[in-house]
Amino acid sequence: MGTVFTDKNPKRAYPHFRTFKILLSKLKISQGKIDMNISNQLRMTVYASLFAALIAAGAFIAIPIGPVPIVLQNMFVLLAGIILGSRWGLACVSVYLLMGALGFPVFAGGTGGIGRLFGPTGGYLLSYLPAVYATGIISEKLQKTMANDIIAMVAGSLIVYAAGVPWLKYVTGMGWNKAVTVGMYPFLIGDIIKIIAAAYAAKIIRPIVKKQ
Amino acid sequence: MCFKTWHGYKPDIMDQLTSFTYQTGKSFLHMLDVRCKIFSMGLLSLSIIKADFASLALTGVIIATLVINAGIKSVVIFRDLKYFFILLIFVFVARALTTDGTPLIIFFNISMTKQGMIIGARICARFLIIMLLGMVFIKTTKPSSVKGAVQWFLSPVPFIPEKRVSIMISLFLRFMPFLIKQTKQISNAQKSRCSDLQPNPIKKTARLCVPLFKKTFQSADRLATAMEARCYSEDRTDPEFIKSGHETIIYLATLALSIIMILF
Repeated sequence: MGTVFTDKNPKRAYPHFRTFKILLSKLKISQGKIDMNISNQLRMTVYASLFAALIAAGAFIAIPIGPVPIVLQNMFVLLAGIILGSRWGLACVSVYLLMGALGFPVFAGGTGGIGRLFGPTGGYLLSYLPAVYATGIISEKLQKTMANDIIAMVAGSLIVYAAGVPWLKYVTGMGWNKAVTVGMYPFLIGDIIKIIAAAYAAKIIRPIVKKQ
Repeated sequence: MCFKTWHGYKPDIMDQLTSFTYQTGKSFLHMLDVRCKIFSMGLLSLSIIKADFASLALTGVIIATLVINAGIKSVVIFRDLKYFFILLIFVFVARALTTDGTPLIIFFNISMTKQGMIIGARICARFLIIMLLGMVFIKTTKPSSVKGAVQWFLSPVPFIPEKRVSIMISLFLRFMPFLIKQTKQISNAQKSRCSDLQPNPIKKTARLCVPLFKKTFQSADRLATAMEARCYSEDRTDPEFIKSGHETIIYLATLALSIIMILF
């Protein structure tokens, strides 16, 4: 009992023919095997957007420990590198920076605009791009254990400071000692806590993302 | 404590977010083509790096006129930019202290020089104008039309899938309020279970973050499945742009203003 089209024109016989065609092209049925590549791509697009939103939300969430509050923004950047990998992590951070440059209030303190990218803290923001790529590549090359995650994230946060502190020095015109005192030392303890927290978070998130 | 949680007004994340978003209106800027606005904002933001006090004042006056025309209240501007002003003061003081020249104010060994103060004021004025440009843009433009304009600008760029970027932007805009709602819900649930009594801030945060991650990632997974089930593809309708008719004047004015900034 097969399906019989009485009408020769498939559009008239099957009103949702265009939808059906798209579905067929999505599934890419070739040699009896269903290629799930495209659906995986869609899934990664959704996850990358979610991470971009998490980075933006992380700029708002501040934990008061010590004199400088810890902002979760760069924790989510490093986490994106570990969970999404180098390519999708880069896409996620680029979308975040693009939204910020267009003026959406996604940067720390609820500000946005292209001025923040060229401002004193712009070096930290732009350095998220190489940092997430490096973190992604290191975690792809190594085995997925907690220690390796921590190694990858330490490398990523070193890149953030390597680009952010010279930028801060150049824009504000202060000396090296002062730039390091203002832009690096107060955040180091917070960064260690954040990296450990991110390693635990990766342990929770990875099974959900890699489920299928 | 319970009374405060239930009935007391507490400013939260939602208030901070909504303060910097789109305001409805029918002013000159609201009606202008989005691409024209983005082009002008980008060109002015780049050429302002070379600007001096005279051209900065001129730009400031123009922006102030547009802000009044668009119906944005000055109170709102000060509220939105309060963190930014702290940053500006920091930059000003750092410049004033480190530049050499004739000292104006002298504390024990530290001196604020006249030259340093002038340089600091100029840099602060530039940052302020760039911030105001971005704020006026975001207050007068719908997020969905920003998305369309981004797609239009990225379409000639090779190796960038502009349609995927635009869908990522709309997913991003969808996830932001969702995340805030989830965070609020979970933190309220924890509060009703007396999480306020927990003295350790790390434990407190962990109890907020673990269910938050689990919930958001599961819902992202469901969203991807739902999009797939509804035959989502990148073959989508292109965005449409409506011109108000004043675009040519704005393009010319922007070009003139940026030439003035670079030359004077």
